[in-house]
Amino acid sequence: MNKRILKILIFALPLPVILASMFIGPSQTASPKALYNFIFSNSLSPELLQSVLFGVRLPRILLTFITGGTLAVSGCSIQAIFRNPLTDPYILGLSAGAAFGAALALAFFFIPVQLSAFLFGLLAVGSSYFMARKNKNVSIISLILSGIVVSGIFTALLTIVQYYTDPFKLQSIVHWTMGNLHNANWSKLQSSIVPVTIGITVLFFYRWRLNVLALGDDEARTAGINPDKDKLIILVAATLASSSVVAVAGVIGLYGLIVPHMVRMMFGPDNAQSIPLNFFFGGMFLLIIDNFSRTISGFELPIGAFTMLLGAPFFIFLLKKTNIGWDK
Amino acid sequence: MGNKTVGSAFSIKVTDFRGKEIGLEKPASRIICLIESGLSGLYMLNAENQVIGVSSAIYNESVAEQYATLDERIKYKKLPAPGNWDFISIENIVALEPDLVIIWASQTEAIQAIEEHGIPVYAVFLKSFDDVYKEIKDFGILTGKNQRADSLINYTKAEIATFSELSKNTSPKSVYFMWSQGLLETAGTTSTVNELIELAGAKNCCTIDQEHVVINKENLIDWNPDLIVMWHNANIDPGDILSLSEIKHINAIKNKQVFEFPSVFLCDLWTLKFPFAVKMLAKWCYPSKFETINLDDEKNKMFIELYGKRGNNLIK
Amino acid sequence: MGQIDKAILVRNLSFAYKDTLILSKVNTDIEIGKLSFILGKNGSGKSTFLRIIAGLLPYHAGNVYILGKENSKLSVAERAKIIGFLNQQHKAVFPFTVEEVVLTGRAGYINFLPKEKDRRAAFIALEKVGITHLQKRIYTELSGGEQQLVMIARVLAQEPKILLLDEPTAHLDFINQAHLLTLLKKLTNEGLTIVSVLHDPNLAFLYGDDFLFIKDYQVIRAPNNTSSWSTEFLRTIYQNNIDAIPYNGRALLIPNMN
Repeated sequence: MNKRILKILIFALPLPVILASMFIGPSQTASPKALYNFIFSNSLSPELLQSVLFGVRLPRILLTFITGGTLAVSGCSIQAIFRNPLTDPYILGLSAGAAFGAALALAFFFIPVQLSAFLFGLLAVGSSYFMARKNKNVSIISLILSGIVVSGIFTALLTIVQYYTDPFKLQSIVHWTMGNLHNANWSKLQSSIVPVTIGITVLFFYRWRLNVLALGDDEARTAGINPDKDKLIILVAATLASSSVVAVAGVIGLYGLIVPHMVRMMFGPDNAQSIPLNFFFGGMFLLIIDNFSRTISGFELPIGAFTMLLGAPFFIFLLKKTNIGWDK
Repeated sequence: MGNKTVGSAFSIKVTDFRGKEIGLEKPASRIICLIESGLSGLYMLNAENQVIGVSSAIYNESVAEQYATLDERIKYKKLPAPGNWDFISIENIVALEPDLVIIWASQTEAIQAIEEHGIPVYAVFLKSFDDVYKEIKDFGILTGKNQRADSLINYTKAEIATFSELSKNTSPKSVYFMWSQGLLETAGTTSTVNELIELAGAKNCCTIDQEHVVINKENLIDWNPDLIVMWHNANIDPGDILSLSEIKHINAIKNKQVFEFPSVFLCDLWTLKFPFAVKMLAKWCYPSKFETINLDDEKNKMFIELYGKRGNNLIK
Repeated sequence: MGQIDKAILVRNLSFAYKDTLILSKVNTDIEIGKLSFILGKNGSGKSTFLRIIAGLLPYHAGNVYILGKENSKLSVAERAKIIGFLNQQHKAVFPFTVEEVVLTGRAGYINFLPKEKDRRAAFIALEKVGITHLQKRIYTELSGGEQQLVMIARVLAQEPKILLLDEPTAHLDFINQAHLLTLLKKLTNEGLTIVSVLHDPNLAFLYGDDFLFIKDYQVIRAPNNTSSWSTEFLRTIYQNNIDAIPYNGRALLIPNMN
């Protein structure tokens, strides 16, 4: 398919998909049939309909879109600054830290779950960064190693918290970790929008620079940018945004790894264009997956399960079809 | 471990909730009870001096105060507590040399480990109020307090019978029950909560045939319950539920009918105290009909009946 | 001391890596508009010296003046407008096109997105190196030699005044080495100052204008009345017998292994 047409589609489709998603959900009050009746014969309780559409569905749709877009953009940026296409926003311990923070708050109620997850996510990444720093230098390998160690520490702490709580709290913790977009509401959207916007905006402005950084530190420095400073700024921005969405939506695994690859396979690695593409495609794709999970069962199944089941076939299709040149 | 029945040498025999027969030669006098609600029952049976170990929840959680009032040993932390849920120490349990251990049936690994030491285990699984009656009756047999158990059961059944008459209703109100894990966690039709709601003369708006259910917010709006009843929640209050904008149009929110059970100890659906919860819920649902019921009086009467003279200490 | 008539001026420069001394009180200068080669044995510190000038290694003793300005006081962006650096090894991870790779050389001129003038500079750089036919090809699919040429175009796109190259002939075949050095010569004729580390003195003497040698933690030139290609001098540098065969006013060298 022509790249140009594909690009246009990716920018144009999100809005119609968002609108269409408003019609999807288990509510009888707001089923397509009921909505039809409402629009054409005004025979339903408008209040409850309003609750379902604007109190339940719309915030969830927007939150899903923002979560998917943020994870994709962050993943793309992290892969560029680490010069490693096998990394994702969770690599420096973000998901392990956030899960531990959430578990701590769910078990001991000392601060709101969302805040706790957000702060511990930042703490984990900060710890990895400072652990890896030696004389103002941070090598990529030591950063990744620190990330693995910090993830391990927080996972161990999480295990201890889980072990120590009763089965009911344990259930809450497990549910949270698997991804909990079904708890979306306007206040979650409100509290996450500022860090997400700051993070994504910074990444948007740095999008061409990611190309320079992706070539190597020496190459970047001699071409005129300060790689340590720029990489730190990008890392902070990506972490701020990612930690914020993980705090409101739980851990959606591998999404930030896979989607940048899909976009790269469709459009090439030029980050100047793939950063915005990642946002719109990542947001829309997660929304479609969530719509699917909402229609397929009345129960709330965690979205983390679906992202891989639905994302993987598409990924494999692209992998077979494109000639990306990883083989060399 | 393999056989379900015991030899006839045992004079005391009960069948626990696994369907396994437990046999003792004489009434148990060194009981480790790892279930808080079960422990409550043992106190009601006046068998507390036969208890030598408890769950650490007794010391840690909201019930600590009441147990301290009931028993000096708990007040001065003299009663051993070898753990809670999966965090129990088999070693400590065995070291206490119990002649009976009471534990949740779902803790299969712990049960196996304890039975391997030759210690009889009574495993509990409560799905209905009839199960609560069975538990007390079996505890009565195991501790030699059969008569007391029977009188407690009869008292409770009588309370429920008189109340059922009063609470019969042609157009029951619909109730949404909210567990303490969160707004979307409720109880389905096969649960003690469901029985609770029906005994109070109301209807469970959740029609899903399961004990514990996680619903979708859209379901809650569709069901449009008349009342929202929260299990005791240390984290949020009815006020927090009332202020949720996405459900503000459902009846319960519009009419400000959101309530919270005030105390785990008082309203425990897994003990013979459940009639109190029934009465409390009935008053919330039909305030004018049950105007004459004074909850304080009911509570005091219940404590004295169930705990005897010590019940006075609980009344405060 | 800021003479602008020298491209690079080094005064009392000392550098040690951990506990190993590499350069000690180096004093030397490099002329503008010439093709200068840095030669010496393996491990003598050639790359280190070059990287210090490129601003990639910090030094704490001595001064390095780039067109009159002290190197350590230049910002990364300021330095990039004067000096372009070509690394010895380059491993690309992502399959960028040649065009995209060369464009990154303009980083010092670009705020957020490349403008038309940046794309033009990149194209001109491709023309200079003679690889416009590779413009849309994927960098990771090219041969080692082609990749090297792309990286040279990238550093030219920077429009620097001084070009520093670390072993630019390393991945090139016999003929392409000659092509590259001819190109470098042409660039210096157009006014560019080029300093290159080279392991092969033969190639250096065939094309270069000026020759610096690293020996005993010092940067030296052949003494005044000796040529750089005299056997006695080269023996002191390479610690081996070298036969010099006169060629074109200079010499071709053959190591004498007897």
